[in-house]
Amino acid sequence: MSSAPPPPKDTFTVLFDGRPIEVPKGLNLIQAAERAGIEIPHFCYHPSLSVVGQCRMCLVEIEGIPKIQAACTVPLKDGLAVKTTTEKVRQSRAATMEFLLINHPLDCPICDQAGECKLQDNSFGYGDQHSEYDERKRQYPGFDRTEIGPHVIADMTRCIQCTRCIRFCEEIAETGELTFLDRSGRTLVWTHDGKPLANDWSACAADVCPVGALTVKEFRFRKRVWYLDKTRSVCPGCNIGCNISIESKDFTVYRFLPRLNPDINDYWLCDYGRFLSEGLNLHEVEKAATKEDGKVASPIVPLAIQRLAAEIKKTIAGVGPKGLFFLGSATLTNEENFLLRKLADHLGCPNRDVVVDKSRVRRMKSKKGWVEGDHAAANYRGARDMGLSPGAGGFGLSDVLSGAAKPEVIVVADGAFSAAADDAEKVAILRRARVLAVASRTANALTRAADVLLPAASLAEKDGTFTNVQGRVQAFWRAFLPRPPIRPHFELLLLLACELGLGERVWTPEDVRGLIRAEVPSWASVTEESLRGGPLLKKGDFLLRDA
Amino acid sequence: MEPVLTARVGKRDSRSIETYLADGGYAALRKAVTTMTPEQVTEEVKKSGLRGRGGAGFPCGMKWGYIPKDTGGKPIYLLCNADESEPGTFKDRLLMEEDPHQVIEGVAVSAYAIKCQLAYIYIRGEFWDGARILDAAIAEAKAKGFLGKNVMGSGREIEIVVHRGAGAYICGEETGLIESLEGKRGQPRIKPPFPAVYGVFGCPTIVNNVETLACVVHIVNRGAEWFSKIGRNEKNTGPKLYCLSGHVNRPGVYEAPMGLPLKELIFGDAYGQGMKGGKKVKAVIPGGASAAMLTAADIEDCPLDFDGVAAKGSMLGSAAIVVMNEDTDIVDAATNLAKFFAHESCGQCTPCREGVPWLYKVLLRINAGEGREEDIDLLLRISNQMANGMTICVFADAAIAPVLSSIGKFRDEFVARVRAGRAPAAAGVSA
Repeated sequence: MSSAPPPPKDTFTVLFDGRPIEVPKGLNLIQAAERAGIEIPHFCYHPSLSVVGQCRMCLVEIEGIPKIQAACTVPLKDGLAVKTTTEKVRQSRAATMEFLLINHPLDCPICDQAGECKLQDNSFGYGDQHSEYDERKRQYPGFDRTEIGPHVIADMTRCIQCTRCIRFCEEIAETGELTFLDRSGRTLVWTHDGKPLANDWSACAADVCPVGALTVKEFRFRKRVWYLDKTRSVCPGCNIGCNISIESKDFTVYRFLPRLNPDINDYWLCDYGRFLSEGLNLHEVEKAATKEDGKVASPIVPLAIQRLAAEIKKTIAGVGPKGLFFLGSATLTNEENFLLRKLADHLGCPNRDVVVDKSRVRRMKSKKGWVEGDHAAANYRGARDMGLSPGAGGFGLSDVLSGAAKPEVIVVADGAFSAAADDAEKVAILRRARVLAVASRTANALTRAADVLLPAASLAEKDGTFTNVQGRVQAFWRAFLPRPPIRPHFELLLLLACELGLGERVWTPEDVRGLIRAEVPSWASVTEESLRGGPLLKKGDFLLRDA
Repeated sequence: MEPVLTARVGKRDSRSIETYLADGGYAALRKAVTTMTPEQVTEEVKKSGLRGRGGAGFPCGMKWGYIPKDTGGKPIYLLCNADESEPGTFKDRLLMEEDPHQVIEGVAVSAYAIKCQLAYIYIRGEFWDGARILDAAIAEAKAKGFLGKNVMGSGREIEIVVHRGAGAYICGEETGLIESLEGKRGQPRIKPPFPAVYGVFGCPTIVNNVETLACVVHIVNRGAEWFSKIGRNEKNTGPKLYCLSGHVNRPGVYEAPMGLPLKELIFGDAYGQGMKGGKKVKAVIPGGASAAMLTAADIEDCPLDFDGVAAKGSMLGSAAIVVMNEDTDIVDAATNLAKFFAHESCGQCTPCREGVPWLYKVLLRINAGEGREEDIDLLLRISNQMANGMTICVFADAAIAPVLSSIGKFRDEFVARVRAGRAPAAAGVSA
C-alpha cells in the first residue's frame, strides 16, 4: 500500500511450446495460440459464444497441472506454459477424434458440409484413420434430414453435440429455440417442443455448425463448396451494412456468408439479407432500349447513352439546365451517386435528389450490442453524403410527383430506387417528362415506361462503397463480370458523363473515391485499407485466415 | 458402538419433532446460534476431521473455509446433496425418512456456520416419501421457531427448501446439482471457478452430503474431540453408515466407527452375518458402482475408511458395499454396471458421451459370447482414453472403474467367455 502499482500491462507473456509470445489480455487461449501461429483444434469453442469446454478436442498440457486441459477453458495469465505437441496431447486429440467418429455416418459424399467441415479437417489433421469400432452406429429415426425451421435442415446422425447452435440461439438471437434432448449417447439437439427454429438469424445456427448436422435449406445440394469463389462484399438489404462474402461460380451467386466485423455484424447475418443472394442472379433488363415516336429500338448501350446525352443537350439549349432532374438511389454506391451529383453540377443543374423506403426495423448483434437499421436500401446515408439533395433553387422528387416541378428530362440512376418505381400513378407523373431515362437490373412499371432504358449490373458484378447507419464507409468488390451488354451503373453513368464533357472513360470507382475524399469532409479518414472490412469466413469456422 | 446417527432409527414416531426433542434434539442448533460464532462452529468441524460422506471424502471444514471472506454482497447458499444416486447407496434415504429432524438440524447448524440464510435440500426425484417427510418436518421446526426469520430468538434467519430433482445420476455431482437446481439441464460445470466462489445463481455455495451434515449436529453437541476419537485414525474419524448389499445374509445400513474392517462388515454378527448359503466371496464393490472391485483376497485386511480402501486401489465412495459370491458372473456384472453408466452419462463431453455407450456395447457383445480376445484389450484402451482430464467431471473415471477392475482382476473370466463363444445359461441378465 506504500507505492503506486506499476502501470498495468495490457498483454500476457504466454509460453507456447517454450516460445514466449505476447498476447493481448481478454483473448481465449485458442485465439492466443492462433496469434502465435499454433492451431489448437476445436469444435465447440466459438469466440462470440460462451465457453463450454465439452468437445474435448482442444486438449493441451499446461505446465504445473498434471491432468490434460481443454485449452478453451484455461484462463490466460503471465507465464502460462502451454504444450501443444507432446505425445499425450497427440494421443488425447486422436482419442477425441475416434470417439467423435465412431457414430458419425461418414456420409461426406452426400453431405453439404464436405469441404468446409471441421470434422473432416480435424480428422485429417489430428485423427487416426484406424478405428476398432465394430458396433452398430447410432441412428436418430425421426431426427434426420428434417426441416426444423424455414431455412435450416437438421440431421442428428451427423451432430457432434458441440452446442454452438444452442448457444447461438440462447446468447446471440436471444430466442433460445434449440436445446439438448435426452442424454448420454442418445443426446441430440432439437427445437423445444417441436417449435420451429424461426428467429431472424436462424441460418446462423447452421453457420456455426462445424459439421453437416445443420445445413441451410436454400443452399443444400446446389454447389460443392470448394468450387465457390469468395468475394468481399456488403449486404444490400438495409443500412446496417453487414459484411458478407459473396460465394459464386460461373456468373452465378450461390450464397452469402457473413464476414467477421465486430463493430457491425460480428459473425452473423440475418436471414433477410442472406437470402437476397438468389435475387442477384436476376437480370430482367438484359439490353438497352429506346423509344422514339412510339417506336421501340434496342441499340447498343453507347448509342442509347448518346441519345440520352443529345436529349440533355437539347434541353439545356432550350429551357436550360433547370429542365433536367437527376434522381440518385440509396441502392447505388457512393461512387455512382457522387458521379451523378458531379454530372448535375457540371451541367449547372440543382435538381437532384435521393429517397429511401422505410422497412421494418432490422437488428444485428455486433460485439458491442444491437445495431438497428430501418432502410430498405443500403446506402441512403452515403448518397446524401455525396450531395444528392436539391441544390439552391432546385427541386426534388416530391416536387416532381406533386406536379410543382415539370422537368423535361428525368435521369433515374437506378430503376429499383424505391417502391414508387412500381407505383403506376407515380410513374405516370414521371412519364410526363419528355425523356425518362432509367438504368436498371430489374423490371418494373418505371422501366417499362422509360424512353431510354439501360441494362445495369448487380451488386455481385461491380465495385464500390456503401455508408452504413453508423457512418462507416465499406467497400465491396466484383465477384464476376456482368454478361454483356449489361454494365455496372458506374460505367453507365461514366459513359453519360463523358458524353457530356465530364470525366474520363478510364475512371474506376477507386479514382472516384479520390475525388470524394477531396470534397466530402466525412471521408477524410476513409482509406482504402479502412474500406476492406472484415475477413472471410468458412461456414462453421471463425479463424482469421486472411486477416 | 452406541449408535449416533441412527439412534432413533426404528423407534416409534421417529419422524416426529417430539421424539427428536425428547432425545435432546435441536440442542446443537441452540448451542450454535446462542453460544457460538459461525467461525467457532467451522473451527470445531475442522478439528473433528469430518470428511465428506458423499464419496470424495473432502474435509468438510476446509471446504467451508473456501468461501470468500468478502462475498461482495452476494448471499451464501448451502445445498444439502440428497440426490443419493450412486447404485448400492441407501444411507441418506434412511436418515431422511427415519430421522428427518436430525438432517434438518444438521443443515441449519451448517447454514449458521457458513452464514447462509437459505439452504436447499436437493433430493432425488424418486424419493417421494423423503421429500414429503422432510417438508412436514420443516413445517414442524418452523412452527417451533427453530427455522425462519428468527431462529430460536437469535435474530438469525435460516430457511430450508426441499427441491426435488428429476432423476439423473449426474445431478449428484455437485456442479450438476447446482445447474439442476437453477432449473437447467443437469450437466457438470467447468471448474474452476469452484462452487465455494461461484456456485448456485452465481453465489458462493457449499454442497454437502446428508450424512455429513447429520454428523455436524453431533460434533457441535459433543465436541470435535469426541468425534475425532471415533474411527481408525485421525484422518478417518467419526461414525459412518455402511450400505451393505449383495449375497450376504443380512443386507442393510449399519452404523460403525469409521474404519470398520470390511471382513467384519460382511461376516460380523452385528452386521452382514456372513454369506448367503455359506458361499465364498468372489468380489466386493466397496464404494458404489463407480468404485473398483476388490477380490476375496483384498477383504482380508481392508479397513472401510477413505485411506484404507484407497490403499487397495479402490475408494470408499459412498460406502456402498456390494458383495458378490463365487457364483457371480463377473462379465455379466461388469456389463450390468456399464449399462447403468451408458444410460446416465450427461452427454456433454465427447469421450464420455461416446465412450461409455461404446464400452457397454462391447461388453454386451462379449457377455453374449460374441466377443473376440482383442475386445478385452479394446475395453482397456477405450477406458484409458476417457480418463484423467479427458472430460469435465469424473463421471468417465467412475464409469471405467468397474470395467478396468473387473478385467484387471478377473480377466480369466472374460477370456473364458470369449473362447466359449456363448453365454452360460445363467448369464444374460443385463442383455
